[in-house]
Amino acid sequence: MDVSEQLSLSSFDEEIEPFLAETSELVQKRRSQGRIIFDRFMRNYTAVGGAAFLILLFIFCFVGPYIWHVNPNTVNVLHVKETLANPSLTHPFGTDDVGRDQLARAMAGGQVSLIVGLLSMLIGIGIGTLIGALAGFYGGWIDNVLMRITDVVLAVPLYLLLFVLSAAFSDGKPQTVILIIAFFSWTYAARLIRGEFLALKEREFVMAARTIGANNFRLMFRHILPNAAGPIIVNATLLVGANIITESVLSYFGFGVQPPNASWGTMIATGDSFFDVDPWLVFIPGLLIFATVLSFNLMGDGLRDALDPYMTER
Amino acid sequence: MGEYLLEVQDLKTYFKVKAGRVRAVDGVSFSVRSGERVGLVGESGCGKSVTALSIMRLLPKPAGEQAGGSILFEDEDLLSMPESNMRQIRGGKIGMIFQDPMTCLNPTMTVGKQISEALRIHLKLSNEGAKARAISLLDQVGIPAAHERISSFPHQFSGGMRQRVMIAMALACNPKLLVADEPTTALDVTVQAQILELINGVCHDFGTAVIMITHDLGVVAGMTDRVVVMYAGKVMETAPTEEIFANPLHPYTLGLLASVPRLDAVRQEQLKTIEGAPPDLLKPPPGCPFMPRCAFARAICKTMPPLTAVSGSMQHQKACWIDVTDPSQQAYAERRRQARAASQQAALAAFAETTTQSGDQATVPDDAEHAEKEG
Repeated sequence: MDVSEQLSLSSFDEEIEPFLAETSELVQKRRSQGRIIFDRFMRNYTAVGGAAFLILLFIFCFVGPYIWHVNPNTVNVLHVKETLANPSLTHPFGTDDVGRDQLARAMAGGQVSLIVGLLSMLIGIGIGTLIGALAGFYGGWIDNVLMRITDVVLAVPLYLLLFVLSAAFSDGKPQTVILIIAFFSWTYAARLIRGEFLALKEREFVMAARTIGANNFRLMFRHILPNAAGPIIVNATLLVGANIITESVLSYFGFGVQPPNASWGTMIATGDSFFDVDPWLVFIPGLLIFATVLSFNLMGDGLRDALDPYMTER
Repeated sequence: MGEYLLEVQDLKTYFKVKAGRVRAVDGVSFSVRSGERVGLVGESGCGKSVTALSIMRLLPKPAGEQAGGSILFEDEDLLSMPESNMRQIRGGKIGMIFQDPMTCLNPTMTVGKQISEALRIHLKLSNEGAKARAISLLDQVGIPAAHERISSFPHQFSGGMRQRVMIAMALACNPKLLVADEPTTALDVTVQAQILELINGVCHDFGTAVIMITHDLGVVAGMTDRVVVMYAGKVMETAPTEEIFANPLHPYTLGLLASVPRLDAVRQEQLKTIEGAPPDLLKPPPGCPFMPRCAFARAICKTMPPLTAVSGSMQHQKACWIDVTDPSQQAYAERRRQARAASQQAALAAFAETTTQSGDQATVPDDAEHAEKEG
């Protein structure tokens, strides 16, 4: 480096412009918490793949019927060619034993499966959060009573009880199935949230919130609950997958959504008897369930990593 | 209203543990006037923080237990008050700042929300009103661009700034009393002075009385009007700040002051300490708790001296039988110190001798072993 270069570098007038420009860039780089989590999630390609598939699936199930104008319940047994047909241009997913279009049924069944999965998850997480929060925050006998109730629900063989209950109460409507599934899906969430509350209630910011006069309700739901949001969200996504499977199992055995309403589980059940003639009847809804649950789990894993506060990597 | 804003009388706070009861605070009395700054000083574990938590009635349950005494705040006993009234007092009339600002702010709430929370609880302000007040509070505690920073999260603030936010939170509802539990211990030295100055300035502006809990005598000197020296859950001495530095009358206060390193001291001089360790509060010794470490101790110290006014000043009280300004007592203490030092030297020398001897013996078989292995 010669003398003239050194001189030009030490000239203050020239330095000042780029320096300021850089500072503004640095200031802008300060991202919000949500943005950091989003960026972290987007770097996890499998999770993004799962999320993308789910978006496509939602479009398929909820927008699809407006493009594919075929009634999923229209029976067509007059032409032999129209029953148990292989996938073709007129019926991309084929038809079943009474000539119903499988593509239209997959869409309608997907709607039922997704709605049942999501709503039962919401109700389940709601119950679980309430019970877990009360148990973890108050401790003592409240904790004991609530957790023993949870243990009891967990100890019951799930499917057996579901079969009995849905045989007794279910009118085959999706609402009833949602409630029945939700009633048995809150237990893990409750345990998880209790654990989170047990740890978080000892944190100093809770004590600090007490010193400004916050009451227990405010402490629980304004201060502690948002700090437990990460695990709850992860648990929720995993629960959707589990609940979709539960719904399919119930429907497969004829205890869930009743025909003629379609659901992926009932589709497999009807296709089951014709497996040697037309395996597509089982494969297609089976693959849809498989891919949906897998996608929810992948997304849940991705969210768990993205929401983990101890992952300090940008 | 009486003469005092806060009167702590014979406060006893015990903790139940398996081995018995820990007498964390054992008969503490002091009082705070409106607008006065009082320092609570003492070494770790002497009950300073437990006193503060007792005032806020936030002792950890179920271990913490109020065993006696009363805390009168504006002539109402905080200890017998229903919890709902106590919630009105917390944050509304008494604010508190904690030691570590890194963990005391909720990471999921913006600082604006956290400051305005107290306003919304106590003053029932609307969203906009609370936000406007939060901005002006942030401005008052010296955070630049307050209207922008109001929507930042705590992790976007440095330690000193978080402590400023804590101060804004504690003072949001203009409380009568601020309890500051070692507010600068977790901070960088360069920031400590700023924060102390801020607490001083803001409390002066608001007319807030301060209880400053600290073990830093420098903080006490600059920040308080009066000092309460605590040891093992008891008050040892209390006096106006200038008086306690100029004329300490309790052996423990003497020891505390002597152990502050001085800039003008000779370089190689050893730091002065108070010999021994604080007593086990599970089984406190009968009488004066400082007696086992006290050079001035006499037989009379086996009964606990009451906290009595020193002749000449009603403001200056001490709990000690001995008059430490008496030359004959000082000579006695000096003799005891020297005797203790001498016995310590002797013990050390004896210990060194035994270790070197056993060391010599140990080396012989060691070498033999090595030789064997190599062979």
